[in-house]
Amino acid sequence: MATTDETQTDLVTVTIDGKSIKVPKGTLVIEAARQVGVMIPHFCYHPKLDPDANCRMCLVEIEKMPRLQTSCSTPVAEGMVVKSGSSEQVETARKSVLDFILANHPLDCPVCDQGGRCDLQDFSHEYTATVSRFSELKRVFQKEYFSPLIETQMNRCVQCLRCVRYCDQVMDVKALAPVGRGTLTEIKAFGAHELDCEFCGGCVQICPVGAITSRMSMYEFRPWMLKRTDSICGYCGDGCQLTYQTKNNDLIEVSSTYGSGRNNGDLCARGYFGYQVSEHPDRLKTPMIREGESFRTVTWEEALEHVGQSLLAIKQKHGPDAIAGLITGRCTNEDLYVFQKFMRGIIGTNQLDSSVRSGHLAGIKALQRVQGTPRWTVAFEDILEADVLMLVGTNVTETNPITGLKVKEAVKRRGARLITIEALEPAIGTISNISNLASYHFSVRADRIHEAVLGFMKSVMETHGVDQEIRGGAAGFGNDIFSRLSGMPWSKLEQMTGYETSRFAEAAAVFCQGKKVVVLVGQGVLRSPGGYGTTMNLLDLLLLTGKMPRPGCGVAPLAELNNDQGAFEMGAVGEALPGGVPIDHAETRQALTRAWERSIPATPGASFPEILGRMKAGTIKALLMVGENPLGSLPPSSGVEQAMQKLEFLVCQEAFRTETAGIAHVLLPVATAAEKDGTFINTEGHLQTVRKAVEPAGESRPDWEVFSALSVMMDDPMEYLDVRDIGKEIRNLLPGTRVLGPAPMPPKPDSQTVQAYMAGEYQRDVAVRYRLPEGPEPASDELVLVLTQSLFHSGKFSLKANGLIKVESAGRLYVNPQEAGRRGLGEGDRVALHNSQGSVEVTIGFRERIPSGMGVFPEHFDGEICRLFPYTVDPETKSLVWKSTVVRVEPVPVLPGSRK
Amino acid sequence: MSEKLQKEVKEILARYPVKRSALLPLLNLVQEQEGYVSESAMREIAGVLDLTPAQVFETVTFYTMFHLKPIGTYHLQVCRSLMCALVGSDDVVDWIKKVLDIGPGQTTPDKAFTLSVVECLGSCGTGPMMQVNDDYYEQLTEAKVKRILDDLRRDGTSSMKSGPFMHPQPVRP
Amino acid sequence: MPVYEPILLKNMEQPGYTGSLKDYEQAGGYQALRKVLKEYAPEAVIEAVKKSGLRGRGGAGFPTGVKWGFIPKDHPGPKYLCCNADESEPGTFKDRQLMERDPHQMLEGMLITCYAIGAETAYIYIRGEFRLGAKILWRAIDEAKAAGYVGDNVLGSGRTINVYVHQGAGAYICGEETALLESLEGKRGLPRFKPPFPATHGLYQKPTVVNNVETMANIPHIINRGWEWFASIGSPPKSTGTRVFCLSGHVKRPGNYEVPMGIPFRELIYEFGGGMRSEKPLKAFIPGGASAPFLTPEHLDVKMDFEALALAGSMLGSGGVTVMEEGTSMVWAALRLMEFFYHESCGKCTPCREGSSWLVQILQRIWHKRGQSGDIELMEELCRNIAGRTVCAFGEAEVGPVLSTIKHWRHEYESLIQESAVSGRGGRELPVLAL
Repeated sequence: MATTDETQTDLVTVTIDGKSIKVPKGTLVIEAARQVGVMIPHFCYHPKLDPDANCRMCLVEIEKMPRLQTSCSTPVAEGMVVKSGSSEQVETARKSVLDFILANHPLDCPVCDQGGRCDLQDFSHEYTATVSRFSELKRVFQKEYFSPLIETQMNRCVQCLRCVRYCDQVMDVKALAPVGRGTLTEIKAFGAHELDCEFCGGCVQICPVGAITSRMSMYEFRPWMLKRTDSICGYCGDGCQLTYQTKNNDLIEVSSTYGSGRNNGDLCARGYFGYQVSEHPDRLKTPMIREGESFRTVTWEEALEHVGQSLLAIKQKHGPDAIAGLITGRCTNEDLYVFQKFMRGIIGTNQLDSSVRSGHLAGIKALQRVQGTPRWTVAFEDILEADVLMLVGTNVTETNPITGLKVKEAVKRRGARLITIEALEPAIGTISNISNLASYHFSVRADRIHEAVLGFMKSVMETHGVDQEIRGGAAGFGNDIFSRLSGMPWSKLEQMTGYETSRFAEAAAVFCQGKKVVVLVGQGVLRSPGGYGTTMNLLDLLLLTGKMPRPGCGVAPLAELNNDQGAFEMGAVGEALPGGVPIDHAETRQALTRAWERSIPATPGASFPEILGRMKAGTIKALLMVGENPLGSLPPSSGVEQAMQKLEFLVCQEAFRTETAGIAHVLLPVATAAEKDGTFINTEGHLQTVRKAVEPAGESRPDWEVFSALSVMMDDPMEYLDVRDIGKEIRNLLPGTRVLGPAPMPPKPDSQTVQAYMAGEYQRDVAVRYRLPEGPEPASDELVLVLTQSLFHSGKFSLKANGLIKVESAGRLYVNPQEAGRRGLGEGDRVALHNSQGSVEVTIGFRERIPSGMGVFPEHFDGEICRLFPYTVDPETKSLVWKSTVVRVEPVPVLPGSRK
Repeated sequence: MSEKLQKEVKEILARYPVKRSALLPLLNLVQEQEGYVSESAMREIAGVLDLTPAQVFETVTFYTMFHLKPIGTYHLQVCRSLMCALVGSDDVVDWIKKVLDIGPGQTTPDKAFTLSVVECLGSCGTGPMMQVNDDYYEQLTEAKVKRILDDLRRDGTSSMKSGPFMHPQPVRP
Repeated sequence: MPVYEPILLKNMEQPGYTGSLKDYEQAGGYQALRKVLKEYAPEAVIEAVKKSGLRGRGGAGFPTGVKWGFIPKDHPGPKYLCCNADESEPGTFKDRQLMERDPHQMLEGMLITCYAIGAETAYIYIRGEFRLGAKILWRAIDEAKAAGYVGDNVLGSGRTINVYVHQGAGAYICGEETALLESLEGKRGLPRFKPPFPATHGLYQKPTVVNNVETMANIPHIINRGWEWFASIGSPPKSTGTRVFCLSGHVKRPGNYEVPMGIPFRELIYEFGGGMRSEKPLKAFIPGGASAPFLTPEHLDVKMDFEALALAGSMLGSGGVTVMEEGTSMVWAALRLMEFFYHESCGKCTPCREGSSWLVQILQRIWHKRGQSGDIELMEELCRNIAGRTVCAFGEAEVGPVLSTIKHWRHEYESLIQESAVSGRGGRELPVLAL
C-alpha cells in the first residue's frame, strides 16, 4: 500500500509482545495491542468512554518507563516497546489485581446472571487466580431495590464506574451516583429513591460483572443456552441493530454490540426493554371472522377464502376503487411492496396509504422537491462530523434517541455547536434534554416554530446576505426570499417567538461559520400545520447559504416509525410508485407493468383523509387495514368512526385486537418485527436486514404472505417462495435498495432538480411559506395543548411491551411547575380541559422542560383527550394534522372526603 | 431562599467560571444554615448548578463533613489518628462519655451533643484535641473537657477554644 | 540551643503581630510584589525561583520553579494557581499556623506566582475543618483587595489577579493535586491519571499550578533577598531554604520549628523539642508525615533534607516529625495509621481500595491477638502489589508504615501472632472497621 509522507508522519510504530504495528498517533496502547491480537484484560476501559485507569488490570511494561503503565490511558509513541503477556511482572500485577477484587467479591457465580459472560470470571480463569488468601470478612452491602427493570447487586461491583461514566458521557443523563468512598462505594440512584432515568439499559450492558443486571429475565438463562439473532429494532426510524437472545423460542433479552449497527451498540428504553411485545398474552393467534357481535375462530383457508371472495365481489360490483388499503410503516419493505402490488396489481386501485403520511412524508416531499431524492443527503457519520448542528422541532431524545446520541457525541466530544428551536426549556430532568447542550436554544411554543425559523433565516440573510455562488446562478431566488424576509417586521417576530433580534443574530453568525451543517427536523415540525413549508424553508436556508450542495451538509427529517422511509420508497402511498416516483412516471409504470405482468391503474391515488372522505360518501366499500388503527389513533373530529361504520367489509391484519380490529369483519393475525425476515430503511435511508428471532405467535404470518395468499384466492396469483424472492424483485426494480452494508451511501442532491427549483419552481408556494400568520393568539389563560411522543413508547404498539409499561403506564397533562403554580395547581391534581370540541378530565404532572403556556400529553395514552383536537388537512402532503389544540384549564373540585 | 442567602449564592457563583465548582461552597452554606444536607437542599442546589440530584448526592457522600441527617447542636469530633492517640486521644472519648454518657456515633437525648471520632484534624502538636462545630479545642485534659462541655451547654460557646494558631509561643530571651 | 534566623515565622514571632495588612506592610510586606511588577518579567521570576532551589513543601518536593516553567507561555485561555491548603497529612500542622498567623505572606507569594505564570485567578483550597483559617484568609484577601494588591489592575500594573478561598469538606485525598482540582471543580476528589499534568490540563483542563502554602510563603523572601541568599540556606544544592518542621508525639515541647534544612533529627527532637517527655527513651520516629516510613534511634543523626532521608529509606515529606517512646507498640502504631489510610482511600484504584481494607483487617486481627502464621508475609506481598500500581502516590504512602514497622520491629508482630497461637483465638471475628 502506498503511503504518502503525510500519513507516514501520522503513524507511529510500536512493538507489543514482539509484534510490531504502525498505528495512528494518539492510539491507546490497549487498542494498538488489540490490533496485533494481544488482548489486554481490563474492567474500567471502554472505547466509548474517556479512560479512567482505575481498575489497574491493564497494566503493561513499557521499555524506558519506570513502573508499570495502564495501557488504557497511555497513548503510543514512536518506537515504544510494550510487554503484556510476555512480562512476568505484568502477570504478577494482574493476578494481584484479581486477588484484590476477589477479596471482596461474593463468588456467587452460580446465581449470577452474568455467569458465563463475566469479565471477572473470564480473567480469573485466564490468570488461574489460585485460592484467595483473603481470610477476613467480606464487605456486604445492604440489598436495595433499584428499579422495576434493573437489578443491582453491589456486592459484585468492581467499582470500575463504567455505568456511571456511560450514563454521563454517552447518555448525558447522569442518573447514577457512586455513593460513599473507598471500598464502601456503591452505585445508587439519588437519595433513597429508585432509579428514574432514560432506562436505556446502557449500565446493564456495560457492567463487566453481574453488579447491574436486567430484571426482565432474572435467573432464567445461562448465556450459552441463548440463540442470538441480529436484527433491527421495530420501533423508531433510527434503525438500531439489536440482538434478540432467545431460548426455546422465548425472547429472553435484547443486547447490542459495540461497533455494530447504526447505533454502534447503544440502545434506548424501547429497544432494550420493549421486546416483550411479541410475547404479550393478548396477541391474536388465529384468524377470525365476525359473527354478529362476536368473532368465530376459523382456519387460515376459510378466512382467506372469505376475504378473497368478498373483495372480488365488491370489486366486481363497484369497481376496484371501491376498495382501499392502509398499512403501517412498521412493516418490512417486503410487506409494503407486496401490499402496494396487491392493491395496484390485483385489486387495481391506487387508493392506498401508510403511516408515513402522518409526519415523515412532509419531510420526504420537501427533500424530493428540492434535491430530487427522498433520502437524506447526509448520514449519522455526518452528524458526528458536523461543526454546526441545528435541531428544529425535535425533542430528539424522546422521538429518535439514537440520533440524539449522535448529536450528543458531536457536541460533547467533538465540539460541534448546536442550535435548537424547540418547545423545550433547557431544564435538567430525569431524562436528558438536548437543549441543555445547545449553544443557542430558542424555546418557543409548539405553534411558533415556523416563525422562529423565519426569524433565524431573516437574521442569516440580513447579516450575511446570500451566498456568492447562489447570487450568480439564482439571483432571483435569493433576492425574492431576501425581500420576503426583509418585509417581516422584527417587532412582530420578536413578539411571536419571545427572542430578541440580537439573539437570532448571534446564532445566525455561528450557523454561517459552519462548514458541515446538518439540520435535523422532527415531529414538532413534520406533524404540525405548515410543517412541510417549514422543512422547505430550511432547505432554502441551506441553499441560500451555499451549504446545500456541499458534502456533509443537509436537511434531515426524522422518521417516526422504523420503516416510514421504506413505506414511501416501496410505493405504499397513493401518489407514488415504488421508488417514490409520481404515479404518472412513465418509465416506472413501464418497468412495473413488465415485472408484474399486470397493468398499473392510472387513476390518481388517494391519501387517507381522502379515503376517509370516500368511505363517508359510501364510494369506498371495503378497507384492507394492515397494522393501522385509525379508530384508536385519530380524533373523533375526523369522523373516522362514522366512516368506518359505513364500510361493508373491513379486514384487519393485526397482532392485537385494536379498536379498529374490534369492528373488523375479518381478523388476520400477523407477525411482529421479531418474528419475521425482511428489510427496513431507516431515517437515514439505510437499508438493513431484519431477521426472524422467534416463530410467529400462534398461527400468525408475515403480512406479505397474507397478500400473496389472497392473490391466489382471487385467482390472480402473485406468488413468492420466500422473503428473499420479494427482495430480488425489489432490487431489480429499485437501484436504491441494492446497498446493504454497515453504513449508507447518501445520495447527492440532483443538480438539475436544484437548479430548476431555484430557477422558478420554488415560486409555486413561496408566498405561503414566507408569511407570518394573522390568526389570534391564544388568550392568556389558555393552554396550547400538544400530543407528543414519549421516550418510553412508540405509537400504541409499545403499550403491549411489559417492560415499557413498567416505566410509563398512563398519561398525564405535563405542564411547567411554575405555570401550574400560577394556576394554583399541584402535581396530581385533576383538571378539566375545555374547548369547542368538548371537555376532558386529566391529571396534572410536572415537567420543568415544558415551556409556559403549553401543556404536553403523551400521545400513547390519548384515548380520552383526543376528543379535544380538531383537525386540518395539509394542502401539500394531504395528511391529517391534529396533534395540537388550545384549551381552557379548570380545576376539578375535590369532593369532600375523597383523596386527591 | 431568603434574599440574603440568594445574594450569598450569587456571590459564590461569581467566583467560578464553571458552575459546578460552587457545589462544595453551597453545600457548606446549606449545612451551616440547616445543620445537615437534606434531600430537598440537594435538589435545590442541583437546580441552581444545572446538575442532576445524583451528581450532588455522589459528591456529598464523598466528603465526611456533610451529614445527610440532622445531628446534635454541638458536634464533638475527637481526633483519633496516631499523633493524637500517642498523647491520649482515646481517653478524651472516655472523658466525654463520663460527662454525656454517649459513645462515638451517638447523640445525647436532648439532641445537644453528637460525638464522633475522626481522622487527623491537623493539630498534632497540640493533641489530644477535638473540634466542636467550627472551633478547635486543643491540649485537652479531663477537667478541660468537662469545662468545655459545661460552657457549651450553658453559653453555646467556650473561651477555651483556639484562636489563630501558633505553637509553641516564641520564647523571649 | 542553636539559634537560626526565622524566615517564615519571623513576623508572627514579633510581639503584638496580628497578621493584619497593616502589620504585614510595616514588616516590609508586599515590597516583593511591587518589585516584581516593576522590575521583573514573568520569566525572570520563574528563573529566580528555579535558581533558588526552592522545592515544594507539600510532600513530594518537586522543584517549584521547574513546575512553573511547565506552564505553556502562549496559552490563549485562562491559567490558574491553586494554593494547596488542604493540610491533612497526619503529623503536619504548619500551614495552619502560616495561614492563621501571617496570611498576607502566603497571599503575596500567590500574587507573585500568578504574575509569573500569567494566572488571573487563584484559589486557596483549604481543608473544610479549618474554619478559622478560612475566615482569616478571606479577611486578608478583602484587605489586600482594598489596598489594590488583589483585583483588577493590581498596583496599577494592568494585571488582574483575583483570589478566592475554597473550602473542602473532609477528604485527605484532596491534598493530592489532581484530586484537589477535581474537588475544586465540585466533584468527588478522585485523583486523575497523569499525564496529562496540571501544568497543561489542570483546573477546568486549563494550565494550572498547584503549590503548597509554605511554598507560597517562601516566594516573597526569595524576591526580597535574592535567590542567591535563599540557595545558600540549608543543605544546598538540592535542599535549600528552611522548613517549618512539625514536631509531635512523645516529646516535651511539640510544635512548629523553622530551621534550615539539613540539621539532624537529633537536634530538632532533643534541642528544640526538649527531648522525650518522660524517662522512656525514643523508640521510633516518623520523619515526614504519616506517609513516611518509620525510622529508629539509629537514624537520629540523619540530616533533615530530601536526599539524606531518601537514602535512609524514608522521606522528608510534609515535614511532620512524630516521636514515639519506648513502650509504644509498633503494630498498634501501624494499625492506627492504616486505619487512617483505609478511611481516606478514595476507592478509585483497585489495589489501594481493596488493599487498604485487607491490610487494616489483618493488622486489626494481629493487634487483637488473632493473627495467623503467614500474616506478615501476606502483608508484605500485599504492600508490594499496592505500591507503584495506583494512579496517585497514596498507594506508596499507605504501605510505608506497615513495611517499615515490619522491617524494624518484625518481632513485635511475631510475638503477637505467637500469643494468638497460644491462646488459640486465631481466625475470624466480626470486622472491627467502620467508616
